[in-house]
Amino acid sequence: MASVSELYDVTWEDMRDKLRKWRDENYRNSEQIVDVGEELINEHSSKLGDDIWIIYEQVMIAALDCCRDDLAWSCLQELKRQFPDSHRVKRLAGMRLEALERYDDANKLYDSILQDDQTNTAARKRKISILKAQGKTAEAIRELNEYLEQFVGDQEAWHELSELYINEHDYAKAAFCLEELMMTNPHNHLYCEQYAEVKYTQGGMDNLDLARKYFAQALKLNNRNMRALFGLYMSASHLAASPKVSAKVKKDNVKYAAWAASQINRAYQLAGRGTKESKCSMKAVEEMLESMQITMS
Amino acid sequence: MAEPELLLDSNIRLWVVLPIVFITFLVGVIRHYVSILLQSDKKLTLEQVSDSQVLIRSRILRENGKYIPKQSYLMRKFYFNNQEDGFFKKTKRKVVPPSPMTDPSMLTDMMKGNVTNVLPMILIGGWINWTFSGFVTTKVPFPLTLRFKPMLQQGIELLSLDASWVSSASWYFLNVFGLRSMYSLILGQDNGADQSRIMQDQMSGAAMAMPADTNKAFKAEWEALELTDHQWALENVEEDLMSTDLDYCGMFSRELPTGIF
Repeated sequence: MASVSELYDVTWEDMRDKLRKWRDENYRNSEQIVDVGEELINEHSSKLGDDIWIIYEQVMIAALDCCRDDLAWSCLQELKRQFPDSHRVKRLAGMRLEALERYDDANKLYDSILQDDQTNTAARKRKISILKAQGKTAEAIRELNEYLEQFVGDQEAWHELSELYINEHDYAKAAFCLEELMMTNPHNHLYCEQYAEVKYTQGGMDNLDLARKYFAQALKLNNRNMRALFGLYMSASHLAASPKVSAKVKKDNVKYAAWAASQINRAYQLAGRGTKESKCSMKAVEEMLESMQITMS
Repeated sequence: MAEPELLLDSNIRLWVVLPIVFITFLVGVIRHYVSILLQSDKKLTLEQVSDSQVLIRSRILRENGKYIPKQSYLMRKFYFNNQEDGFFKKTKRKVVPPSPMTDPSMLTDMMKGNVTNVLPMILIGGWINWTFSGFVTTKVPFPLTLRFKPMLQQGIELLSLDASWVSSASWYFLNVFGLRSMYSLILGQDNGADQSRIMQDQMSGAAMAMPADTNKAFKAEWEALELTDHQWALENVEEDLMSTDLDYCGMFSRELPTGIF
């Protein structure tokens, strides 16, 4: 099997920088991390200097994702040798126990960390993810709520809570969590779009109106968000087709839906230019838009 | 008024001015590393962390509340500011002003601060005064009054000498403050050798006791939140959006990244 560096003709510095980029941007491409990281550790460990420790951590978590317990164990041993009393390393040991489904042992480990340091957020979050892995969603939600009562600023936790609520079909509470995220990250179009989708799923005239507004906001923040564009079209046409709305609202929504449809057509035209299938796909898009149009009285 | 310029022996430059600069600089670097070694971990309690995050959340609500629907904003404002059981009204934290006597960690911190900063300065200042005494080291470029003479010309008993000519001890003190920018260049910001910043901290530290602040901070947040209104930023978002076509520039480029690199 050719090594990564041979396959792509890159130096060890490129590989290290790539790992750093994945670390900073929070990628979860575990197989790639394992390939690149394993080679870096085996061949070039002496050249990496102090970077090696954080690479060990990154590769270990990726190895747990890919079921590579051998690699995870060796990384953990190196880290334990270098940082014998570290809470961070203990958490990694707990994660390995979780991967082996030894949840009780993992819980004991996390409890010992928390006894030592009450403010350690990582251990508490791992305990909650154990509950999630065991399928105890209701308990996980309860624990996560308690956690958030004390650490109100943890955005990762708010997002996780919104996901759990969506799984439980409790859309009102999921919307609350997403509102927190939208406030702390007002320029993130993905949170706006997710919030709009939750509101759309909740249904009802007010919620559809809000959904349409937030789809529009997501589009304003990022013009290329196709999902938001389709969402805008669907919510506007749904509102326009509903019998309970006033004439003005209906007129506005018809206008919005028409605009959205024209933008969708434009996008598909742009996508298909130069290819043979463009005519067929354009027709398909038009038909799809027609079928989504709920008949207007 | 033209006065006769004193010509100093160039040996003074070589053996006095430059060594004092080096000594000051090296002592500063050593102080920085010693302060790192002696640094004690600041342990925060759960309550402190939690309170600071709540304050941040309230501030975010005030600043970015316009991005969420009005109902949600009012719900949160009510949670914080409600007369009977709003968070800011209801929560009172136990206030213990951290005086040096009752708080042992503060005492040791103060002592360490003194040892690493004030003591070396006094010792080395005295040593330089003793070693390099009896001659004039340098001239400050601006005229000084006679009142500065006993301070700046320690060890030189000449009544007629202009006060601008100073001894080596004052050159040392000039260095201590002047090399601050050199320290931030070499040791990075926030370094332990930065004495004047530490003295500033000591002076403002007395006025800024963190735990006692929490109740006051809550009250201040309550007032600020009472005053803010909700101006929904999304009132006219559709009109704004639909005024122009969407920008698809570069969306369907041919080059798609494949593989790892």
